[in-house]
Amino acid sequence: MALPSLTLLGQSLLSGLFIGALYGLLGLGLSLSWGMLRQINLAHFALAFLGAYLTYQLASVGMDPLATLALIVPFFFSLGALMHWLLARFSVSAFNSLLVSFGLTAIIEALIQWIWTADFRRMESGYGEVKFRVGSLYVALPELFTLAMALALSLLVWAWLRHTYAGKAMRAIAEDAPIAAAFGVDVRGLSLLLSGLCSAFAGVAGLCLALSYTLAPGQIYAWLGVVFAAVMLGGLGRPLGPLVAGIVIGVSEALTMAFTAPAWAPLVSFSLLIVVLLVRPGRI
Amino acid sequence: MLEVERIRVSYGAAPAISEVSIRVGAGELACVVGPNGAGKTTLINALAGLHPIEAGALRLDGRDLSRLPRHAFCGEGIAVVPEGRRLFAGMSVRENLELGSYRRAARARRAASLERVCEVFPVLRERLEQPAGTLSGGQQQMLAIGRALMAQPRLLLLDEPSLGLAPAVVLAVFDVIREINAGGVAVLLVEQNAALALELAARAYVLEEGRIAAEGRPAELLAQAEIRRAYLG
Repeated sequence: MALPSLTLLGQSLLSGLFIGALYGLLGLGLSLSWGMLRQINLAHFALAFLGAYLTYQLASVGMDPLATLALIVPFFFSLGALMHWLLARFSVSAFNSLLVSFGLTAIIEALIQWIWTADFRRMESGYGEVKFRVGSLYVALPELFTLAMALALSLLVWAWLRHTYAGKAMRAIAEDAPIAAAFGVDVRGLSLLLSGLCSAFAGVAGLCLALSYTLAPGQIYAWLGVVFAAVMLGGLGRPLGPLVAGIVIGVSEALTMAFTAPAWAPLVSFSLLIVVLLVRPGRI
Repeated sequence: MLEVERIRVSYGAAPAISEVSIRVGAGELACVVGPNGAGKTTLINALAGLHPIEAGALRLDGRDLSRLPRHAFCGEGIAVVPEGRRLFAGMSVRENLELGSYRRAARARRAASLERVCEVFPVLRERLEQPAGTLSGGQQQMLAIGRALMAQPRLLLLDEPSLGLAPAVVLAVFDVIREINAGGVAVLLVEQNAALALELAARAYVLEEGRIAAEGRPAELLAQAEIRRAYLG
């Protein structure tokens, strides 16, 4: 086994960091709705891809990809709130929410295929070409943007939950919703707000996907396993968990690819997950 | 002040309590005693908004609360110390107390309420930043009472505050309940420990199989041989 050069190693670490940020961004909404609202939203990935395709569409009619945030965020917020309202209306349990959202995934996938076909789509934007040079390493703007978004959103949610009245009430809902209500917390309203936020995060993650990746409807499932691993490793309902765990997984994958063959990479994330589940099963 | 008129509360198809009527006067301490499974917790939970009331009326100072959404009960001046305490275990003692004063009117007086709760329970002051789940049973009971006091209630509902506590701690908790009541807060106390509850209360109800079996002043109830035998051994 030949040792990789320092430059290659550095570049691997960087790409691991960036893909980890995307894992974290994709996992943030999933972890929050699972941990705090007991809704396992498999459709989170389909929503992210819907966001990616919408960004692609808006960019192709001449909108700046970053400016699409102004439309993507409110649109996905409303979609998430609506979904939560429906799930709450029919009192869907955590396990059934998994089934319902799996069905929703299939519907969104079919919708995407119907509108944009199964062909590969690549968003054309000036941002993809912008690269910064740091020493002998290169950093692309879309990846940097993804990292910045993941960091900013995770930290904002963390601060909201830790330091505001509404955030503390949200944590109380996660622990014992009826008692929180007995002390005046509007459980329904706050749950709608959080669901909207989670879905908006999926939209933002979709925008980041569109910036860096070629899109195809089948890709929805490619992210599922590793992001679930990041969510569980990070601890459900913990706002910084998915990002930290995502980066740990991303970097370990990148290092595995640098030292061995790329095919070994998925092994790393799931081995990590199994080890954590064995050592600290209480985290889930 | 509190008038409960012939309420029925069910779990599924089976009514847990029915035709239950009780009154608590302003500043009064009333208690409900009865065997396990009689529906005491159901009653408290219904009065706290934790469980929907199917039929009957629940009036506080003449205002009917039975159709209000559950998070509105606290704003009407009702605070609960639920069975099993049900603290927010992963959150700090301070955060638990802050959530007690979540509604706006209580929020404005939060600092003063916190000071008062720490005076009543000095042990909580030392542990404000500690997760609630790491407190001992007695301390958790104090925190549950403290959290309810933070809501500035006019009516405090207490469900089995003596459960699982050492005898000395039980007496301390009951002293605090007496003190809170002396401060003008009406109290409805549900207890298995009937001797203790009847000693404290000005009005008492016996709940059996979801119905009020007897009511009156504690002295009157204690004069009835069957009640003495059933609840005081």
